[in-house]
Amino acid sequence: MDKFEQAFNEIIEKDLKVEPRDWMPEKYRKNLIRQISQHAHSEVIGMQPEGNWLLRAPSLRSKQVLLAKIQDEAGHGLYLYSVAETLGISRQEMNAQLHSGEAKYSSIFNYPTLTWADMGAVGWLVDGAAIVNQVSLQRTSYGPYSRGMVRICKEESFHQRQGYEIMVQMANGTPEQKEMAQDALNRFWEPSLMMFGPHDADSAHSSQSMAWKIKRESNDHLRQRFIDRTVPQAHFLGLTIPDENLKFNEETGHWETSPFNWDEFWNVIKGNGPCNRERLDHHKKAHNENAWVREAAAAYSSKVETSVA
Amino acid sequence: MKLELQHDESKFLIRLADTSVILGQRLAEMCSRGPFLEEDMALSNISLDLFGRAEELYKLICKIEGADYTPDDLVYRRNEREYYNIKLVEQPNEDFAWVIARQFFHDLYAETLFGQLTTSSNAELAGLAVKVLKEIKYSHMHAADWMDRLGLGTEESNHRLQYAVDHLRKYIVEIFDFDDLDRRFIADTASLETTWRNAVSAKLQACNIEEKEIVTPSIRDFRDGYHSEHMGNLLSIMQYLPRAYPDAKW
Repeated sequence: MDKFEQAFNEIIEKDLKVEPRDWMPEKYRKNLIRQISQHAHSEVIGMQPEGNWLLRAPSLRSKQVLLAKIQDEAGHGLYLYSVAETLGISRQEMNAQLHSGEAKYSSIFNYPTLTWADMGAVGWLVDGAAIVNQVSLQRTSYGPYSRGMVRICKEESFHQRQGYEIMVQMANGTPEQKEMAQDALNRFWEPSLMMFGPHDADSAHSSQSMAWKIKRESNDHLRQRFIDRTVPQAHFLGLTIPDENLKFNEETGHWETSPFNWDEFWNVIKGNGPCNRERLDHHKKAHNENAWVREAAAAYSSKVETSVA
Repeated sequence: MKLELQHDESKFLIRLADTSVILGQRLAEMCSRGPFLEEDMALSNISLDLFGRAEELYKLICKIEGADYTPDDLVYRRNEREYYNIKLVEQPNEDFAWVIARQFFHDLYAETLFGQLTTSSNAELAGLAVKVLKEIKYSHMHAADWMDRLGLGTEESNHRLQYAVDHLRKYIVEIFDFDDLDRRFIADTASLETTWRNAVSAKLQACNIEEKEIVTPSIRDFRDGYHSEHMGNLLSIMQYLPRAYPDAKW
């Protein structure tokens, strides 16, 4: 072990932060780029399922809140791309990896948003699950990622409240609205639990990430925290969690659920979910059809620079 | 629901409110479709400003009317012929050049108009005008910068901008075909038009876009609730939920 590696290990051991100029093992760097770019892509692709209802938002207020929320997500994408750039990868490269399928994004965004209640369920469950994960990541060992998470968490908690507010409104609304709310919960419950990733024993990157303190808590641990937090919220809404085996274990103090449909989880990850193709095509289309705009901006700025010189 | 306005001031203000909400909706269509992430956020921001502006104007209208309906009723429960926005803002996002040219034309008009409204005898309206003027100046700057980039960038971007400008200028004449209501609430309608025309001519020339002769089109006046065919489609999407579930609260 050389002195650089020793210094790196010491940073990890003492719970200090690794900074962009510090030496780091190549695998640590790669692992971070994979995770952070995946996180950034998730924010950006996540704009689509909500964007699907933006034009149909049923009041001026809900439209402005939803648009502000989607705009925040674009902003989170930007922070995270910038964090990844400190590790020596460009936004163009990350974009190319997204388009080639080499880089992933959270599978949850491959599910369609079918009714307005889904705007509630996405905020409540999807952002709710994301927050549990991101709060934990505030203590990640890579400095820029950790600081980015602190900022993102503040905005995410507002997003979750926005979602829950829609659920409250729908669950207390007309019978049709309540039915929409229950249907949204039915469709998003299990996919949101699977957002935490496979069980610890089946997670390819988990143990190394935990050792390097990139991840601070295991998938199953975070998932359980989310379940325990969310079940009472569903009860408060008067909605039923779509799991007939759901029960509270008095001894452990935790809610227990049925085994998940992991076949579906892996199938969606492999690209066979309801909207995988659509999400990527949408992103590629916006990128490709606007190539001329980026070219014009570049041409103009080089002309202006030349004339100044 | 038939929402008939009784007061002249609200009949004038609803033109501005409708113009804001429809342009906001058009820009919201660009969300996740921008040329890059920063621009996506910029367009969302401008859209948010427009929805906020519309909401404030509708609130003023409800107040003037002493109405038992709300801004949401005005937005979601009127049909095409009861909307009084300028036709320019309902034109579609054919490409980014359309988005920019439409915005540039609108912002120049809105900037002078709200500038004049800052001295309105209605103190609330004057206060609102001061606030929105700041937003419009940013939006105008954003659009003007893109006019330069597109007009002077590449041959393709210049052609696309020229095409968008040629189409959209068709919807300019009606804006300045003022009626008595305009003349009552806009301090100086003549300067509104000259300021706009001079600034547009200067900009088009500076960014290498030809200002072609256009024949005055027979498209009927937005002040009487006339629209292009795009309007009904836009409203059918925007108003879907409150129309489909009239008893629901959102």
